[in-house]
Amino acid sequence: MFKIPKEKEVPLGCITPAPVAEQPMMITGNWREYRPVIDNEKCNLCMSCIIFCPDACWQLNAEEDEPVWNWKYCKGCLICVNECTSGALSKAYELDFEDGVVRLEKPF
Amino acid sequence: MAKEMVLSGLAASAQAAKLAKIEVACSYPIRPYTALMMELAKMVANGELDCEFIHGEGEHGQLSVVLGAAAAGARALTGSSGVGVTYAFETYSPIAGGRVPLQMCIADRALDPPGDFGSEHTDAMSARDQGWLMGWAETPQEALDNSLINYRVGEDHRVLLPQFVCQDGYFVSHIPGPVVVPEQAQADEFLPPYKLPHPLDPHHPVSHGPQIRPDQGTVIDMQRAQAHLDTPQVIKEAFEDFGRIFGRKYGFLDQYKTEDAEMVLFIQGAHAFTARHAINHLRAKGVKIGLVKLRFVRPWPTQEVAEVLSRFKAVGVVETSTSYGGAMRGGNLLHEVRASLYDAPKRPLTTSFMAGLGGEVIPLAEFYWMAEKLSSMIKEGKTRKTVYWVGYESED
Repeated sequence: MFKIPKEKEVPLGCITPAPVAEQPMMITGNWREYRPVIDNEKCNLCMSCIIFCPDACWQLNAEEDEPVWNWKYCKGCLICVNECTSGALSKAYELDFEDGVVRLEKPF
Repeated sequence: MAKEMVLSGLAASAQAAKLAKIEVACSYPIRPYTALMMELAKMVANGELDCEFIHGEGEHGQLSVVLGAAAAGARALTGSSGVGVTYAFETYSPIAGGRVPLQMCIADRALDPPGDFGSEHTDAMSARDQGWLMGWAETPQEALDNSLINYRVGEDHRVLLPQFVCQDGYFVSHIPGPVVVPEQAQADEFLPPYKLPHPLDPHHPVSHGPQIRPDQGTVIDMQRAQAHLDTPQVIKEAFEDFGRIFGRKYGFLDQYKTEDAEMVLFIQGAHAFTARHAINHLRAKGVKIGLVKLRFVRPWPTQEVAEVLSRFKAVGVVETSTSYGGAMRGGNLLHEVRASLYDAPKRPLTTSFMAGLGGEVIPLAEFYWMAEKLSSMIKEGKTRKTVYWVGYESED
């Protein structure tokens, strides 16, 4: 019998409950080099970022009427910045943030 | 009552599929295995088998179809030969790693180049390290029996592994032999219904085959390795139940005339049939020779091989596959045989014979020649060569 540390346990055959919105067992946003930053003052709610994000990392917070960014799965492709119609989105270097992905205790 | 019939190996495999009540079969033509799908298609058309019969667009597609079917909880069967087996290669590891216990019938065919329709174990043996169970049949009867045993073992929740159920092309797949086809009730007693622990199910959604992190890779590999460690016990139980229900006794190694043998041929598959006759003739001349036949290459029965083979003075491994540039310069089996014997207190002299390649028969005269080589090894007390290409050696 093998001894597997608790934090390294993997379900049989890697079969997991199907995620409803997010798969917490597989955070994929941590190889990002740049991240999109939103200026809510400039945003005109055109929804382009929400429509164009290939990983559904922009969601509309209907109560606040503003797009919300999901850092856990954003790969930093910056398609949202490119598609933004109002100039509300800009890119920022990940290293400039205190919680930047390169500072995670466990990078992968 | 069980029926006695005369069936080819693949017709016998089709009978096994019917007895196992397979729910999905996926075909793609390549000879010689195609005969299996022809039999199954007939059974479905005649209403004898309630099975979804799908024609794949290639071997990769075939394996993907049965993966989906078996992942959704259907007992599934596919098959192939030669380059068809290698064309589907990418799918083998994820099926075993995802722990989906489907079955693939392989009727061996030599790989290219150049195109040779003959039988050779290299096609299936190339995939032996992917985590599947694997073993050969010597006769059509064994083709039927192995299929049922493999479904039972592979689907056991202590195992959950796919199975390559192999038979030599033509020698077993197409030459009819006597087969006792058991009663459905016997098969039902031996083989419980297929139940996957976490099937694809819209009411209880699960993810199969997600991307994993590098630090999860070792653990997944270890799960598969552990399953292979647990499998021999499950096989033993299956052998016992099989003997009780069907009256045919099987073991990891089948021995023939080994009680007082000084030397044995170690072999798997169809050529064991001819080897038995050669041994009968050699025995009549006073040569103390026997035969040890391998039933499962994966999981390899290390303990049994060490125990059984260390009783003899010389072992000649008959290789029907190639391992170009390997440690023994011949086939695959001698590597495993020698590795199994390394820690044994008493080791026999071992060598290997490349024979039956490209679909050639191994005639009696070649087995006599092998026995001579083993005799002179015993006389000299050493192994002169680790591989002989039978029929092509300049006298040494």
